[in-house]
Amino acid sequence: MSVLLILVPLAAVLIMNLPLHKLMRKLAFWVGLVLCMLQAVLIIRMPIGFWNTQPDLLYRLLLFRPFTDNLAFVMFLSIAIVGFVSLLVARYAIENDGSKLFNFTNLLLLAMAGMNGLVVSRDLFSLYVFLEVSAVASFILIAFNNGKDALEGTFKYLVLSAVATAMILSAIGLLMTVTGSVSFKTLSSVMGPNSGNPVVLLAVALLLGGLFIKSGLVPFHGWVPDAYSSAPSATSILLAGIVTKTTGVYALIRVVTKMNLLTHQVQVLVMAVAAVSIVVGALAALGQSDFKRMLAYSSISQVGYIILGLGIGSNLALAGAVFHLFNHAIFKSLLFVNAAAVEKQTGTRNMDILGGISDKMPVTGFTSVIAFLSTAGIPPLSGFWSKLIIIIAAWKAGFHVYALIAILASLLTLAYFLSMQRRVFFGKLASGFEDLKEANLWILVPACLLAAITIGLGLCIPWLLNSFLLPIRSIL
Amino acid sequence: MSGDMSTFFSISVIFAVLMVFTALYCILTSRNLIRILIGLELMTKAVTLLLAVGGYVSGRMALAQSFIITLIVIEVVIIAVAAGIVIGTYRHTNDLDARKLNSLKG
Repeated sequence: MSVLLILVPLAAVLIMNLPLHKLMRKLAFWVGLVLCMLQAVLIIRMPIGFWNTQPDLLYRLLLFRPFTDNLAFVMFLSIAIVGFVSLLVARYAIENDGSKLFNFTNLLLLAMAGMNGLVVSRDLFSLYVFLEVSAVASFILIAFNNGKDALEGTFKYLVLSAVATAMILSAIGLLMTVTGSVSFKTLSSVMGPNSGNPVVLLAVALLLGGLFIKSGLVPFHGWVPDAYSSAPSATSILLAGIVTKTTGVYALIRVVTKMNLLTHQVQVLVMAVAAVSIVVGALAALGQSDFKRMLAYSSISQVGYIILGLGIGSNLALAGAVFHLFNHAIFKSLLFVNAAAVEKQTGTRNMDILGGISDKMPVTGFTSVIAFLSTAGIPPLSGFWSKLIIIIAAWKAGFHVYALIAILASLLTLAYFLSMQRRVFFGKLASGFEDLKEANLWILVPACLLAAITIGLGLCIPWLLNSFLLPIRSIL
Repeated sequence: MSGDMSTFFSISVIFAVLMVFTALYCILTSRNLIRILIGLELMTKAVTLLLAVGGYVSGRMALAQSFIITLIVIEVVIIAVAAGIVIGTYRHTNDLDARKLNSLKG
């Protein structure tokens, strides 16, 4: 029934836009919230068999048979949580302007439908179609307020994204000439015997390059800081939390594991790109003075960890990569929620002007400490465990240099987040913020929710590891 | 692949690669935002040609046709959104110069 996760948001968008009643526009926000919650609850409550069955009628109508496994569950859950948080923040940041909130909800549901579709697709072409659906929705969401910077950020993202999809499509064309099919199942059996074929090699290189651009890895990271920092706060949460993760990182994991691409050359390439991203992202984050821009560079560095886990390729490493993907969606969203609160209450994102606002905004200050400790990998928070799993896997597989790079870059992460905390939240209150107030409940509730997930996951790790994380590879 | 098919395949692929390089040249060197969009469209055309070749060589033309039609529809949406972005930029700067898109740095 996972096809419903695509159809229901689409149907909701269609119905809400029918010119029926003025009440529709008011209700849209609540409909969006309910759909996100419903997705999260159903994913947790329903067994895997429920999601993999599909009525014959639906199949004959759509000619599309989705496919669900544990990894897809992780993605569905993070899409639901981040979408929920992003909607609440939109309610807070977009001043109770009915029509803007209505448009935001519509675009968010479209992006969700696209991402859910990407998660369940079982061939390269539907992967491309859903990738474009969520990409178009996110372009409009970035340029939502029509600001000059936002339009510039969107244009850069759009051009790079179009180049990336052109690369993915040419890979599809080339693979079709060799195999005559684009489904993962056929491709996985054909890739092995053809691995020396130059056409196949070119296709694999194009496919990986396109997905690297989409995930914002160094050296294809140019659009990431521009798009994240210029977008409205609610969009930054959605974009950093889940859109880049699904369209780039998840697609990369899916393609590499499903098509058995992890030959020696691909492994070297993927791990080198990952290590460069980890280090360059962390170093660039050190020098930023814009709050959201720093978080964007930190995002590049963390995505590097996930890709490193993918490159190692052992069961343990993949489990760590998927766990870090989920954790990163949670704590990076939390940091962007904090950035939204700070930006709205103080009117600036410049960390040189801010200072000591933790006294005035205690909840925001506290949750941001939780999030940064988790990102930097301090036990017992969830980020520590996922990084630990990836590093142990790297060491066990014999990649000692990469394990060392990952550990040292973790120190860099701690350094730039400590500098951020000191400049924004700790210390003496900067002049001009004497009558600063804490943000309202629309933003404190999601912040506390995300912080609770980060702490809870960190404490439940022994149970999670055996029951959920380690079996991931066997189902992939 | 038979001899005829192989020649056809190489000629089409060479042509597609030439088109991609033309498109990349157009995107990288032009300063007009509209020209960048034209470059993107040209690149998509090259990719469409590759898909058609893929379908023809492997004998699955019907599959390739449905792919190409879907691709054309999606490209129209992308270009419409991109044109909207360009219009928005023009309203702010009264100019279509790509060199003026330089406020985000670092």
